[in-house]
Amino acid sequence: MTPRESRSPHGVGQRVPLIDGPSKVTGSAVYTDDIRLPGTLVGKILRSPHAHAKIVSIDTSAAESMPGVRAVVTGSRDLRTFGVLPISKDEVALAVDKVIYVGDCVAGVAADDEETALAACEAIRVEYEPLPIVGKADDALKECPPEQKLHPGTRHSSNLQKQVDQNFGDVDAAFAGADHVAKGNFRFVGVTHAFTEPHCVIAHFEPTGRLTVWSATQVPHYLHRDLAAVMDLPMHRIRVIRPMVGGAFGGKSDPFPHEMIAALLSRRTGRPVKIRFDREEVFLTNHGRHPTKTSIGVACDGNGKLLGLDLDALIDGGAWGSFGVVTTYYNGVLSVGPYRFDNFRYRGRRVYTNKPPCGAMRGHGAVNSRFAFEVLIDELAEKCGVDAAEFRLRNLLPPNTTTLNGFRITSNGTEECIRRVVEASDWKSKRGKLPYGRGIGIACGFYISGSALRINWNKVPQSTAHLKIDMDGGVTVHCMAAEIGQGSDTMLAQCVAEVLGLPIEWIRVFSRDSDLDPIDLGSYSSRVTFMAGNAARRAAEVIRGKLCAAAARLTGYDAEGFDTRDGHVVWLPNPAIRVPYLDAVLEAIAGKGALIAKGCYHDAPPMGGSHKGAAAGLSPTYSFQSYVTETEVDPETGFVKPVKVWAAHDCGKALNPLAVEMQIEGCLHMGLGQALMESFGYNRATVGNPSFLDYKIPGPLEMPDVEVHIVESNDPEGPFGAKEAGEGPLLPILPSLANAVRDAVGITMYELPMTPDRVLKEIEKKERASAVREASEAANPKETVR
Amino acid sequence: MILAPFTLHRPESLADALSLAAKLPDGGFDWIGGGTDLLQNYKNRLNAKDHVIALDRVPEMRGISAERIGAGERLAVISESAVVRERWPGLAEAITHVASPLIRNSGTLGGNLLVETRCYYFNQTPFWRGTKGSCMKAESDECLVVPQKEICYAAYSGDLAPILGVLSATLELASPAGTREVRIDEFYAGDGIHKNVKRADEIIVGVKVPAESSTLRAGYRKLRHRDALDYPEMGCAAALRLDASGRIELLRAATTAVDVVPHFVDFTEQMRGQEPDTAFAEVAAAMEERAQPKKNTSMPVGYRKKMVRVYLGRLLDDLRAGRTEGRIPAA
Amino acid sequence: MAETQPLRGPFRVPSAADRPPKQVVRLNVNGHAREVAVRPSDVLLDTLRDDLGLTGTTRGCDMGTCGCCTVHVDGRPVLSCLTLTLLAEGAEIRTIEDVAPAGTDLHPVQRAFAQHGGSQCGFCTPGFIMTSVALLARHPDPSDEEIRREISGNMCRCTGYNKIVESVRVAAAELRGEEVASVASPGDLDVPRGAYDKPAGAYRSNGHGGGKSR
Repeated sequence: MTPRESRSPHGVGQRVPLIDGPSKVTGSAVYTDDIRLPGTLVGKILRSPHAHAKIVSIDTSAAESMPGVRAVVTGSRDLRTFGVLPISKDEVALAVDKVIYVGDCVAGVAADDEETALAACEAIRVEYEPLPIVGKADDALKECPPEQKLHPGTRHSSNLQKQVDQNFGDVDAAFAGADHVAKGNFRFVGVTHAFTEPHCVIAHFEPTGRLTVWSATQVPHYLHRDLAAVMDLPMHRIRVIRPMVGGAFGGKSDPFPHEMIAALLSRRTGRPVKIRFDREEVFLTNHGRHPTKTSIGVACDGNGKLLGLDLDALIDGGAWGSFGVVTTYYNGVLSVGPYRFDNFRYRGRRVYTNKPPCGAMRGHGAVNSRFAFEVLIDELAEKCGVDAAEFRLRNLLPPNTTTLNGFRITSNGTEECIRRVVEASDWKSKRGKLPYGRGIGIACGFYISGSALRINWNKVPQSTAHLKIDMDGGVTVHCMAAEIGQGSDTMLAQCVAEVLGLPIEWIRVFSRDSDLDPIDLGSYSSRVTFMAGNAARRAAEVIRGKLCAAAARLTGYDAEGFDTRDGHVVWLPNPAIRVPYLDAVLEAIAGKGALIAKGCYHDAPPMGGSHKGAAAGLSPTYSFQSYVTETEVDPETGFVKPVKVWAAHDCGKALNPLAVEMQIEGCLHMGLGQALMESFGYNRATVGNPSFLDYKIPGPLEMPDVEVHIVESNDPEGPFGAKEAGEGPLLPILPSLANAVRDAVGITMYELPMTPDRVLKEIEKKERASAVREASEAANPKETVR
Repeated sequence: MILAPFTLHRPESLADALSLAAKLPDGGFDWIGGGTDLLQNYKNRLNAKDHVIALDRVPEMRGISAERIGAGERLAVISESAVVRERWPGLAEAITHVASPLIRNSGTLGGNLLVETRCYYFNQTPFWRGTKGSCMKAESDECLVVPQKEICYAAYSGDLAPILGVLSATLELASPAGTREVRIDEFYAGDGIHKNVKRADEIIVGVKVPAESSTLRAGYRKLRHRDALDYPEMGCAAALRLDASGRIELLRAATTAVDVVPHFVDFTEQMRGQEPDTAFAEVAAAMEERAQPKKNTSMPVGYRKKMVRVYLGRLLDDLRAGRTEGRIPAA
Repeated sequence: MAETQPLRGPFRVPSAADRPPKQVVRLNVNGHAREVAVRPSDVLLDTLRDDLGLTGTTRGCDMGTCGCCTVHVDGRPVLSCLTLTLLAEGAEIRTIEDVAPAGTDLHPVQRAFAQHGGSQCGFCTPGFIMTSVALLARHPDPSDEEIRREISGNMCRCTGYNKIVESVRVAAAELRGEEVASVASPGDLDVPRGAYDKPAGAYRSNGHGGGKSR
């Protein structure tokens, strides 16, 4: 057995089970709905049945007079609007004057029990005057009078929310001079997170005048800020607590109206108010991946060198802004890796429609464009007569470079990712050589590891961790990085365990209470390992210095020579000189009290270009992936059944290989869902399939065998070399599967999901075309070349 | 979710159940077996009744033997039973297509045969139906699938009627007026609202399968997105016996989820003595021809219809070759 | 253009007075008799969570699709969201809270899920564990295919299922008495009795003394 590099049995590179696992497997983990405060009222929301309508009047008198009803709240201009991005705070807690999607919140009720709250909602009389529905993205682009705009305050004279135009190099010239060009119009339906825990919030406006909110959120800090705005309270009067979160994937990364409504109801009643969603409400709330139309052209020269990318995305945002401005940029700028090309043009447009709002979902903004790009790369490779894997290898960005739009690339393991999956999958003896109905495909991915610039323009560090060690020797880590099931608590504990050379049992993580735990911006944009990991590591290093000084005092040897390892403070020049950890702690706190330290991740070094929107997509580092997928396609039914996936992901350094595998496999499953069957359906503008029965998520019988290959490029700025593993691994599965389908039956899928009926239709179209060709060849035998 | 309210009765015998029913207003109650279908509809406030009569303690509805399966038996128990696996392996395997293992642990055979017909516009929440105006199977008087007011096009979506049909099963129906037997292929009639010939006060007590059927090769194949949970987008069953020379001696076929009722056709007379290849192609085409799916499930209508031929053709080939789907591990 | 489509709403929630009264039922939950007052239309999930405080059983969809609410009724895993509480009278009900043996020990299935990546956010985990415990009680050596079929009524959005299958496989081996390697490296610190009260000054005379000082 090779000696362990890490200082701790549970440090960097060790397979460490999630530290909250035992409470989850015993049912003792406490999610928001499990919390029972004395006197809690049940909150329910009356939602709009109209996609777009004026509210003529609301009469709550009958509801308010029902026995057991404690409060009814409705919208008011006096309540501030809110939203996760400062540039699009267009959301209201409760509809004012009009409703803009089916499910929009019209009134909130707090009552003694659920039945009474529901009955009260039904007793509220709302008179609506329906307005024309903006149902399709194309319609939203049309000029319209201000009253038909969902958000009259926007600067366009249509329902266009955000347009991005970026141009690097000369795309037209590059395409004109190219040997090969591939173009495609792709269509993507919306998909949604479908986490298992429905949204739930408890708000308690206490007699002290402080508001405490427990919520299933992945962004407690943004919730904190927006609660302060809507409730018109200073932030210090609000306490946000994040209990266990039952999955989020971006779907709990906005401050939500129901959180505001619970707070308003609690302020009215002075009692805790809990609002727990039914599954249907989760679908109505959505914030999932945007339905998108992507037009794309890719050009290369005769040797298969990529020359340019021409990309246009029309993004259907639904009713609210949410993260949409970021989405609009990401649909373009996250296509600049992992390949090098010199000409890039992007037009992105996000529109408002009268549909449930879309927002950030795992792989935010990158998934659909990545699919289109990687599918066309295969087409180009075929035109050049170059193997699809080889084509990609020829065009890779190197490490330590800058992209054409100014992204700073540091560590980059794409080449190793490709080589690993090509070899492991036996690519060379399979590609193009499997029998009809079986195929193999490859694709790559590229994703941010946190956003270099923060959402709110201030100088608060992106992440801060506090550490405390008292005489018991246990290490308390405080940091608001939101544990949502991805294992961020475990990651924080491991970073500290590694620095202090302690088993993980000695570390306890507190990451849920804004009164106690310092700010971390939240679990989104794959930022937590990189940023909170660095903050925790730095705090632990301060403490390590104090322990080494204590050991020096105890032993008389120099402090610089000491390091922490395996429960001791060891003098490196002669490891026999060592002080047990606990002795060093007692010495360090003697006469001074508990050891306290903090660490921050503030900002990445200055980077990026000066063009408009240059900051979007900047990240302190990027993750890279390459997957090979082998699939079966039934040519008679159109069913696509992926058999095996070789998944290579460059996460910099696997702090915890077990957790990295868990993220990769989870990403892959979610991506397969979008590729094969998931579809957020609409009936006009209403959600068509708001249930787990009708929104089809692949089950255990649909999952292929997955072989994970972790590639470690050792990022210079990541904690111990680490970068993200939670989102990028979603990207390559969709196009690698589509490319495998192409290899299997010769069709290109321009539309997701690849449901069997669509696949069969394409196969039949191809067969008809080849039948026509054969017939014409038979009719004109002279033209046939044998 | 809050269920529609009701009074629950839990009789201990068939006689008690029937006399209870006789005392309640006509159409004023529902029978409940496992409840996995009914309670979803009660949660969605779909046609809920004031009284619910539980049949889980009615001994006459229990028991699995070579002649009869009690309609109150749980699907998982039937599928695992040695008698069923030995005599009607196709039925045991077909049961594994129903919903999920968890639902099969509660759901009963009778409940599956009487599963509520399904439609995109019907199987929705009260809020959703409120946004759409609802349909004739719920609160309104018109169909939202095929705009008219005469016929409800909700699809029959049970998985077990087809396989039991090709096995020539008969249903024992009990009512305060006595008992009667109805062939399963004559049981389903009407539309998505008037689904079968059972009267409201009748109970399916048991299902009889003739001894002769255990000598048939029979199976069920199912079209759906996922290999669990989903209702059929199309399902087909067939039973086959070849004579000593390898020609058709008996051939029956059935489909589900492609109409308001399941389709059963006995092709034996027509196909007797024919070469299997020819017969299979004709049978598959004939069943496709009969299918009339409507646009009220997840997959497109044309595709579901087309898949009748593909799935049934493959099933018949499998039956000839003695192949199963391997969903039940060999003992 | 103004489509004033009348919104139908015969979905009226009955007021408390219209609802049948609650009745007291005696349930056998986790080996103990518990009396609760329930309505005929109450489902077991609500009774367990709201009346008995057994919140380990979670509510994911409330419609029988996600399996989060799986409990054992007479040894079989069923959906508590689709089980009427009154019809569970007389049955042995077992929830996730009763799976672990006494104290802080874990059941082998629980241990395997915790150690082999079978649980991420944990919300679906109790349901998977109830299904898996029942599977292994009937079938000690299932193939991967059988495990997949058996858990196909439980939904997980985090793991992609493969590590759940692995967890069940590992638990099965342990339950059969086979040696199972632990994922976690062992290694808690050995803290000697009295370590917290050791006078720091005793250090140099304790074997390390005489070091050079700078």
